[in-house]
Amino acid sequence: MKILIIEDEKELATSIIKYLEGYDYRCEYCGNLAEAQDKISLYDYDCILLDLMLPDGSGFELLEEIKRQGKNDGVIIISAKDGLATRLSGLELGADDFLVKPFHLSELLARIHALIRRKNFNGSNILIYNEIRIDTLAKTVKIKDDLLDVTKKELDLLLYLISNKNRVVSKSSIAEHLSGDMADMMDNHDFIYAHIKNLKRKLSEKRCTDYIKTVYGLGYKWQ
Amino acid sequence: MKQPLLQKTLRIYAIYSIVALLIIAPIFYFTIDKLYIDDADDSLKLKQEEFDQSYLPSFTIAEVEAWNKYNRDTKLILNTRGIKAVVLSDEIYYDELDEEYEPYRVLASPIMIEGQAYLIAIRTSLVEKEDLIEVIAFVFLGLILVLILGLIIIFRFYARRLWQPFYNSLSIIEKFEVDKQQQVDFSPNDIDEFTRLDQAIEKLIQKNSDIYHGQKEFIENAAQEMQTPLAVFKGKLELLAQQPEMTETQSVLIADLDTSVSRLSKINKNLLLLSRIDNHQFSDMTSVNVKTILAKQFDFYAEQAATKSIELIQRDNLDLIISSNSVLVEIAIGNLILNAIKHNHAGGIVYIDVDRAGFAVSNTSVGQSLDEHVLFERFAKSDHSTTGTGLGLSIVKRIVDFNNWKIDYSFKTNMHIFSIKC
Repeated sequence: MKILIIEDEKELATSIIKYLEGYDYRCEYCGNLAEAQDKISLYDYDCILLDLMLPDGSGFELLEEIKRQGKNDGVIIISAKDGLATRLSGLELGADDFLVKPFHLSELLARIHALIRRKNFNGSNILIYNEIRIDTLAKTVKIKDDLLDVTKKELDLLLYLISNKNRVVSKSSIAEHLSGDMADMMDNHDFIYAHIKNLKRKLSEKRCTDYIKTVYGLGYKWQ
Repeated sequence: MKQPLLQKTLRIYAIYSIVALLIIAPIFYFTIDKLYIDDADDSLKLKQEEFDQSYLPSFTIAEVEAWNKYNRDTKLILNTRGIKAVVLSDEIYYDELDEEYEPYRVLASPIMIEGQAYLIAIRTSLVEKEDLIEVIAFVFLGLILVLILGLIIIFRFYARRLWQPFYNSLSIIEKFEVDKQQQVDFSPNDIDEFTRLDQAIEKLIQKNSDIYHGQKEFIENAAQEMQTPLAVFKGKLELLAQQPEMTETQSVLIADLDTSVSRLSKINKNLLLLSRIDNHQFSDMTSVNVKTILAKQFDFYAEQAATKSIELIQRDNLDLIISSNSVLVEIAIGNLILNAIKHNHAGGIVYIDVDRAGFAVSNTSVGQSLDEHVLFERFAKSDHSTTGTGLGLSIVKRIVDFNNWKIDYSFKTNMHIFSIKC
């Protein structure tokens, strides 16, 4: 699967590429609008990560270009600019998601996965990891055809961890992911322990392999 | 006690006028009195001289009786008292016509008629002093009335008009708020000092606005510019966390860095949020029910509270429908509740009340009453050990101001109470 990263801050782009290594993605990178325009007219991408403020223009121009060419590429805007107006105009122009800088790479990866799932499975949205089968639309989890009773938060957590498999996911990124809009107001991560504990317990009750590893001090890892 | 300028000036003028007139009145009376007596004396002396020159040389003792009979005011009497020089005195005689005692000025001068010592006594009636005092009192009372009436009229109409530019400027300054985009417009006037005052104020306002906007822009730009490096930092840190075979020490170091950078990005995002509220980027108003917004996030808050063994209790829970921006309302409620959970102790309580006039969040506390003066200031943290951004309450305050609500803080029976009147 191909991902195009359009971001003028090279360091950020390389970090993203590095983090996506080992997943089934091929990343390409360009740092300005002109180059990006060439690339999207030549190739199709499963996902485009688009910075709005580029040295030679606005990312919105590219969104218009994609729309004009009738392309089906999924676009996630990664912007330092926040605000309802920016978000809305991005989404109106066909972007699929909007992520405000600074973000956690784990959050970005989860969003990329979600986007590609939505696009490639034509709305069926089934995620399978060994014995675990998650229907993200119906919001159900099955362990070898055995229905797992999970809360919305636990399902969210499970998806987030699986999306970042083999990666250490920090407590703060989990906390921010789970608290959504409230994330900027709070500074306490303790509430995620309960969710992790409950999820682990529920999975083990269904005799599921214990994939969630605790990384001392840092966070958790799905392995 | 504070008095309006014009009233105070009027009072001073009025007091001065009354005092001045009260002092002048007796002086005036004595002067008039003296002038009158002098005048009377002069006329008496003139009469005496006239008598001395015209009648005395040919006057006989036999004529004395007749003279006295026909002259009421010039009498000739025997000089039994041995008066040697002209004597002037005040006497009181009974006036048969008016049937009352009246004051007279009397001149007594020794004369010789056919070798016999006589006195010529000439008298002239004085205006009654009582009458004079009465008249003067009336005149002065009239003067005082005219003066004060005049002053009041002048102050009511002329001075008020004279000071109008001052009052205009005053109301402009009173209404001025540096954080609101508003044009100050002083109407021109023809008084030098007021024009100068207006110009000085305009300059001051302009300068303040410039500084304020410069500062606001700086905060906004700084926060904006920090987003990308922060993103790079966060990204690199996450990559670092992926390194295989890390020691515990390394993990803890990375975790600490992660905590700090998360806090830094929250501070940054909250600063940007403040700027966006100031820049009216949330002016999209809809009809919002606070109760519904609260219900939407209640589980999240309850969960946060439960982590610290705090009970979240909704007491009053009525419909509160306001016209506002739903995002801002959510942020205000969120900050207040999360704050109440944060500055609380295990086993504590957070009460949430929503009634038809507003909403309130109260919590059991760990400390003392907070300093209301700095409570809503940016980065004014009461407790330096906490990890908050120091911006929560100032965001709440901005939202309250933006919506023209009122926020009140009180500390009662060991509880911090923040109540907002919508």
